[in-house]
Order: sequence, then structure tokens, then C-alpha cells
Amino acid sequence: MTSFDRRSVLKLGGGALAASALLPAHAFGQSTAINYWHTFTSQSEFAGLDEVMKLFAAAHPDITVTQENIPNPEFMAKVTAAVVSGSRPDTTMVASERVADLVAMNGLTDLTDRIASWDRRSDFDDARFKSITVDGKVYGVPAFTFVDWMYYRKDWFDEAGLAAPTTFAEFRDAAIKLTDPAKGRYGFGMRAGAGGQAYVINVMEGFGAKLVQDDGTIGLDRDKAIEAIDWWAGLLTRDGAVPPSAPNDGFRQIMEAFQTGQTAMVWHHTGSFQDNAKLLKPGVEFATAVIPAGPVNRVSRLGYAYNTVTNPDTIDAGWEWLKFWGEPDAAIAFLEKTGYFPASTAAAKDERISGNPLYKPAADTLGFGIPAPSFPGSAGWAEGVVLPAFQRVLIKEATPEQAVDEMIDGLAQAIG
Amino acid sequence: MISNTGPAYSSPQRSAFDRYNPLRWIGELSETRYWMYLLLLPSALLICAVVIYPTLYGMQMSFHEMRINRPGLGNGWVGLKHYQRMVTDPVFWVSLRNTAVWVTSAIALEFLIGLVAALALNRNLPGSKVLAVLILLPYFLPNVVAGHMWALMLDPRLGVINDLLVKVGLLQGYKAWFADPTTAMAAAIVVEAWHSFPFFTLLLLAGLKGIPTDLYKAADIDGAGALSQLRLITLPMLKTIIAAAVILRVIGLVNSPDLLLILTSGGPGRSTQVLSLYAFQTAYKDFNFGYAGALSVVMFVLLMVFAWAYVRLSKVNED
Amino acid sequence: MAATRSRSKLVWDIVSYIVLIGLAFICIAPIVWTFLTSLKVESDIVTRTMHYIPPSITFENYVKLWNQSSYPTLVINSLIVTSTTVLICLLTGTVAAYAFSRFQFKGRTQLMLGYLVVRMFPAVLMIIPLFIVMRQVGLLDSTFGLAVAYTSFLLPLFVWMLKGFFDAAPKELESAARIDGTTRLGAMFMVVIPIARNGLLATCVFVAIAAWNEYLFALMLTTSTGSRTWPVGLQLMVGEFQLPWGMLAAGGMISILPVIVLFALVQRAMVAGLTGGAVKG
Repeated sequence: MTSFDRRSVLKLGGGALAASALLPAHAFGQSTAINYWHTFTSQSEFAGLDEVMKLFAAAHPDITVTQENIPNPEFMAKVTAAVVSGSRPDTTMVASERVADLVAMNGLTDLTDRIASWDRRSDFDDARFKSITVDGKVYGVPAFTFVDWMYYRKDWFDEAGLAAPTTFAEFRDAAIKLTDPAKGRYGFGMRAGAGGQAYVINVMEGFGAKLVQDDGTIGLDRDKAIEAIDWWAGLLTRDGAVPPSAPNDGFRQIMEAFQTGQTAMVWHHTGSFQDNAKLLKPGVEFATAVIPAGPVNRVSRLGYAYNTVTNPDTIDAGWEWLKFWGEPDAAIAFLEKTGYFPASTAAAKDERISGNPLYKPAADTLGFGIPAPSFPGSAGWAEGVVLPAFQRVLIKEATPEQAVDEMIDGLAQAIG
Repeated sequence: MISNTGPAYSSPQRSAFDRYNPLRWIGELSETRYWMYLLLLPSALLICAVVIYPTLYGMQMSFHEMRINRPGLGNGWVGLKHYQRMVTDPVFWVSLRNTAVWVTSAIALEFLIGLVAALALNRNLPGSKVLAVLILLPYFLPNVVAGHMWALMLDPRLGVINDLLVKVGLLQGYKAWFADPTTAMAAAIVVEAWHSFPFFTLLLLAGLKGIPTDLYKAADIDGAGALSQLRLITLPMLKTIIAAAVILRVIGLVNSPDLLLILTSGGPGRSTQVLSLYAFQTAYKDFNFGYAGALSVVMFVLLMVFAWAYVRLSKVNED
Repeated sequence: MAATRSRSKLVWDIVSYIVLIGLAFICIAPIVWTFLTSLKVESDIVTRTMHYIPPSITFENYVKLWNQSSYPTLVINSLIVTSTTVLICLLTGTVAAYAFSRFQFKGRTQLMLGYLVVRMFPAVLMIIPLFIVMRQVGLLDSTFGLAVAYTSFLLPLFVWMLKGFFDAAPKELESAARIDGTTRLGAMFMVVIPIARNGLLATCVFVAIAAWNEYLFALMLTTSTGSRTWPVGLQLMVGEFQLPWGMLAAGGMISILPVIVLFALVQRAMVAGLTGGAVKG
């Protein structure tokens, strides 16, 4: 002690002060703060997120996560603005159909090496990572899965002596048979308003007009697409088996129509099960089935919500948060609050899922379901060209031929 | 203000103090010929910072390739490429036509209802204060609230308007207003008019209060009827306010996609697609900022031409 | 002659009442309906039988709304943004409107049109550049930054509207004051602004409402709950997988409450100003 004179002590102290001012806070073992953008909106989703965050805080007291909810319709606009202006969030949830655009605008961070050496990697099927892999680089971890399926009025089907349809032809027959304008009933609640583009693309692929060919080229088979559009729109224009409000019916409208007993069938995914179960008796008034197969292909979508790192500066903390969602504790906690399917194969084998017959169609679909086609510009093309063109057929402003030509032109514009 | 000066030097001190009194100083400044420019300076500076720079930036985007999900295409100068595309883009032309229909019908309706309401309110009948508050209320609602409120009332399944029309016998069954191209635009215009006509009412009412009553007394003596008084006195006296209100409303309506975004998203088909919505979708759904920039520039130029012509016609700058 | 005039006055009075009551009904009915909806339970809203009177009244929608996602914060944010916007407009816009109204100078017409023109550039595309500017000066995601952004389109509105009111204020009193030796500054603050105070108030109310209701800028320029405004928070409720009619209606009702209070206050001041001002004639 005595060897220090006053001057050297002052020097030392001053140096330490200066150093502490220069060093970032986490170098001192204090907490790193990261934020997390997500598209959750409902109370159950918030409860699930809350639960995961609590578990995470207990496991990682050194990392503080702030959640910020961005609604789905505005999500891409906000992320785009953030990426372009350089004020991106640290981590974000990304739906599979948005991955291509985000990677293309350099919005996501490559996590290939971290994921390869992750001890939970083997809990996930390789297929789970397909939609988040671009040019061999993996950009995120699947958080949970939306499995496409169909809800149908079991009581009406029983009354009419019908079984749940398994092909497009059976589906159309059932829709026509169950339509009864006198009772205000329609066979099928078609979503041709907001979000309806996904189903138009699914039906086209069901008829064999695949959007992304096996060799990776993008294009539409004109004849098959026309056949598909003609059949799909015909459910309204020829068969009258769809409510006339279809061109403006989005998720809310098709669900309200189904829940108030105005439609016999509706296509959506597992995420709306809880809402339907609130107003209709599961297993008695309504049941679930896999989406009917098209004449050429069986098209049932598996949509994944991925967690990704957007800001490379906080990647260490961000990665801890991402992979935490893959822990069975977190996945089950989230499932219990929301009913959303875990992405982890291990967690999906949980008794609560495999033991429930109403969940069987979803478990089956996991076997043959495929992710939606995605390439840079696909989301914009689907929403900005496919949907309006299809609506024009519904309102008899265009023929299926004209609509498909519009789609093909728009596709050239989008990828050109 | 001047109480603390010593008695001995009272008068020279006072003038010295006055010279440094900021109010006095500004008062003197106000007599110089640069006064009006000084008055304009703060607002002009603010506008330069928050409008001019972003605007110029936005304009230059329209001459560049800016597709942020296609970095391979680069950000190079493409000249008039985006403008050329517009000429052959059917969606642009449909949007242009819809914008014209949307803006003119909505504003004509808003102005008419607004004027009628203002004239009626200006009679100062007993109870009109309460009625005024009620009538002005819709304008206070955010677009988000107004949009969802009407979406519920016009809903093809849950809508109370459908139910009423069926009960009255005007409709056979519930109608899906926003699913039929002929009624979608009309319904949207009604919602917009409901939401914004109080803008005209309030401005016109304030203008009406400013018209000297002597004018009407004189007209009464001359035997002019109510309608000719409206034509000969009221409307000419309101000219400036009408011009300002119309221009502001046109700009607001052309530029803001909010309400249609909530009600129809441009559908069904493209029957309610307007330019602002198209630009918004091109930018944030297609990520084609270059083309969205070009669409915005065209909107901007159209608005400028309109404002210029309108100001010319109503001679708003004369006095 | 006098009899016909009073009869025609009576006719017009009756017409006015019919018009006013009809309009008031049209204006209020949707709001009343929203209020009734906000008191209903979900199963009485999503149903095939229309309930005009809620069969059972619940305040659950309001409770859920208040508890769910920090709605008090959102309202306070909106209030801060709105009052900051009005303050900035008052400070910079009043003098500008006065200059446009009272002085002839080189470039006046062009400048005035310039103020209008800046409002015309579509917000859709100004947002990205504005985003970048805000980030550089550290105002992104802050209530003050949002208020500054609002002035980009509300300040021109403020100046143009107020100019109209200044134009309507008689110039004679001002001239008289000037002859008495008042400076231009004095004439502006002591004579013209007091005369046009109703116009000033009306203009402020308009700007405040526009700021309170604004959605697009607020959505794009704020992210955290700490600076997010009310309309954005409300729109966020409209999720993909829920049907929040009751809560949406409750949110709508809460959002107009402060505005009604504000307007009730302003309305009184406006009327008092208008009737008390013998200066008009």
C-alpha cells in the first residue's frame, strides 16, 4: 500500500473512471437489454408470451427482454422502415412467408453455425428449417406452427348423412348440398377478402399450377391455373354455395359466419380452434378435418413462426432468447396458454395433443403438409395482384382467363 | 417595469432600460421592412426541416431503382422508367379514376351537408348549441374508430343498418355492402362524408358569424329571398374560407389511405383502389420504393395543379 | 309585409330544426350504437338475432381494455403529443398567419402556396426519409418527435386556417391603434389576435383533433408503448385470431371521451367570444 503515492492513485482512479465510461455496460456483467418484435395481439397470446418471458428471466437474469407488439398487417411496413433507416429491433418473430423478403433486404442475421452446434437442434425435423433457409444459410429458429385444416358443422353433416370431404369434388358436393338460402345457410365460408390470396394460390397448386417448380423456377401453368380459378370462383358464381359477401370476407367475417351458423365449412388453421370452441361445442356442433385434396396435388400448409436475430450487435443475447423458445418448458407453457402447436417435434408428441381426437387432423397434416411458396416479392404479388384479380372474377368483372393473365403479368413484374 | 431606476438619472436610465427591454426591442424591429420575414422565419425553418428534406429525398427515389427486397438490382438511376411504367399500368389508371370519384363525391357531399348544417346552426335557435356539439362530434373520432364502427354497422351478418333496412322493407335480406363493386365505393363515401362534413360545418359557421348582419337587413329591405341572399351575400362572403376548406380537405383526402385501408383495402377487385392506397401498398407490400415514389410524385403534381387552378378560380389571393 | 316575413322566418326555423335534429341523429346514432355494443357480451354481438337493447349489460369490455395493454399510458401519450403539436403550431404558426394576412411583400403568394404545397407530398413516402431524420437527431420513438412530425402537415393547415380568420378581422381597429402610436408588434398582440381569438381557438381545436386522430405517422414513427399513441394502440387490438368487437367499441368510446370534454370547454369559450365581440361589425 505504501508504495502508492497520491499521484499514481489518482492516475489509476482517473483511468478506471475513463475506462468505465468508455466500456459498454454489459462488460461489467450487468444486464443486456434486447427488444423483441412480435405480431401477437390476443390476450391468450400475450399470456403465453408473458409466461415464456418469465421463464426466460429466471433462466437468464443478465438479459432483459422488452416485447413490442406490431400488428400483422403493419408488420412488414414497420420492419422495412426500421431496416432501411438502420433502427432495427434486436430480435423479431417472422412468419414463414415473410422470410424471403426480409432476407433479401438484408434484415436478418445468419445463424447457421450457432444452430448447427445447438444442443436442441435434434428436437426439430429438418423440414422445420426449410422456410428459414435461404441459399444454404439458416436465419432463425421455429417457435410454433400453424397447421392448415378445416372446421365443419358436424351436426349439419350428420343430419344430411354426409362425411367430411376428402377431395375437392366431395367438398364441392357437400358445399352445394348444405347450402339452403331459406335457412340462411351456405356450404362454405370462402375467404376472398383480406388474406384470401393464400387460398387462391393453394387451390391453383391443388390443380397442378405450382408456383415454384421443383428446379426452383417460378411461374404459373396458365391452363391449370385457369381451371383452378374457374372452379374456386365457381363455388360462388355458379354454385351459389358461398355467401355473397365473400369478396370482402377476411378472417373475422368467415369466422363470424361459421360461429353464427351461416356456413357449414371454413378453412383456416389451428390458431382459431379456441375461438370456435368458445361459441360452438367442439366434437358435437363442429369438428375438424384435413383440407381436401386437389385433383392433382394435396396442398395443406404448415406455417411456421420463426424467431430471428435482426441486430447483429446484440446477437449473443438475442441468440439466448431465440433458442429458449425451443426449450420444452417454454414451448409447453406457450401451448398451454394459446393452443398453438409447438414447432419442436419432441414437444408436439405431448399427450395433450396426441390424445385429443379433434387435434388428429392437425397431427396428420404435419406428416404431409408443406410450407407456402415463398420468394422475394411473393407476398406482395399475392396480396397486390392475385387477390384483386381473383376478386374481379368473383364480382364478374373479369374472366378466369383474364385474371390468370393478370397474375402472370404481375408475377413477371414482381420477379423481373 | 421601470420602477427600479434611481431618481437622479431617472429619464436617461429609463430610455437605456427601454432599449434593452426585449419587448421594446422587438416592437422597434416590427417597424422595419423585414418584419414579415421575421414572422415567417420560425415556421419556415421548421417546415424545411420536417418537410422539404424528406420530400426531396422522396422525389429522388422516384428516379432510382429502389426495390429493397431485390438488392441485386442496385439503387441506380433509372430516369423516367417508373413514369413510363405508369402509362401502361392499368392499376394506376383505375386508381386515378377512383381517386377522382372518391374525392369529388365525398367533398361535394361534405360541403353540401356542412353548409346546410352551418346555415341552420347560424340561426341561433334555442337548443342549437347542444345540437351543434352533437353534429360536430363525428369529426372528433379517429379514422380508426370511425372505420371500425361503420364496418360493424354495415357488416353483412352483424350489421344493424342491414337489419333496419330489412325491417323497413327496403332490403330483401342482409347486403354485403363492401363485397359489391357498385355499393363498396358508395358506402365508403358515405362513411367518409359522415366523418368529415363537420370540418366544413365548423369552418363555415365561423365564417358565417363574421358576416355583418347589416348586409342581410339591407337585402331584406330590398326584398331579396332567402335563396338569393345565400347566393348574393353568404357564399361570396365565405369565399376565402370555402376555398381554404376545400383545398385542405382535398389534400387530406387524396393523401390519406387510412379509411379505405380499414374498410376495403381497395377491393373488391380494384373498385375502391385509390392512388394513396396504391402507393402505400407498392412501398410497403411490394417494397418497390422507386415506383411508389413515382406514384407519389404524380399525386403531388396533380394536387399542385388542382390547388393552383382552384386558387386562381376562386381568387383567394386578391385581398 | 311584416307578416309574410315573420311567416317565412317561422318556416325557415322549422326547416332548420328538422335539418339539425335529423343531422344530429345521423351523427349520434353510430356513436350510440358503438356505446351499446361496448356494453354487450361477445355472444350478443356475434349472433344472428339483432339485439337493439343489450340483453345483459357488462362492463367487462372496459375492464379488459384497461387492463390488457397499458391503455392509460396510450391516452397520456396521445395527450402529450397533441398538446405539444398545438403548442408548436401556436408559437410558430400564429405569427406566420399574421404576416400572410396583413402584409404585402415580395414572394407572398409563392410562399403561401409553398406552405400549402408542403402538405401535398404524400405522407406514405415522406415517412421513410422522416424516419431517417428523426433517428439522426434522436427523436425516433418519442412523443416530442412525433409532435414535430405532425407539424409537417398540421402547421400549414394551422397557418392557412388562421390566415382566413385574420383576414376576416376588420383592419380599422388595427389602423386606429397604429395611428395612436402602437408598434406593429403591439397591434398584432393587443388588437388583431384578441379580435381573432375565436378563430385562433377553432384553429387550435382542429389541429388538436387532427393530431389526436392521426394514425399513419404514429404507427410508423413509434414502436414502444412508452410513446405509442391511442389510435395505434386501438388498431393493434384488431388481431388476426380474435374478434374484439366489444373491446374495440369500448376503446372507441374511451377515445372520444377526452375530446368531448375538451370540445365542450372550447365550445363555450367560442360562443362567448363570438357573442361578446362587438368588434365584429
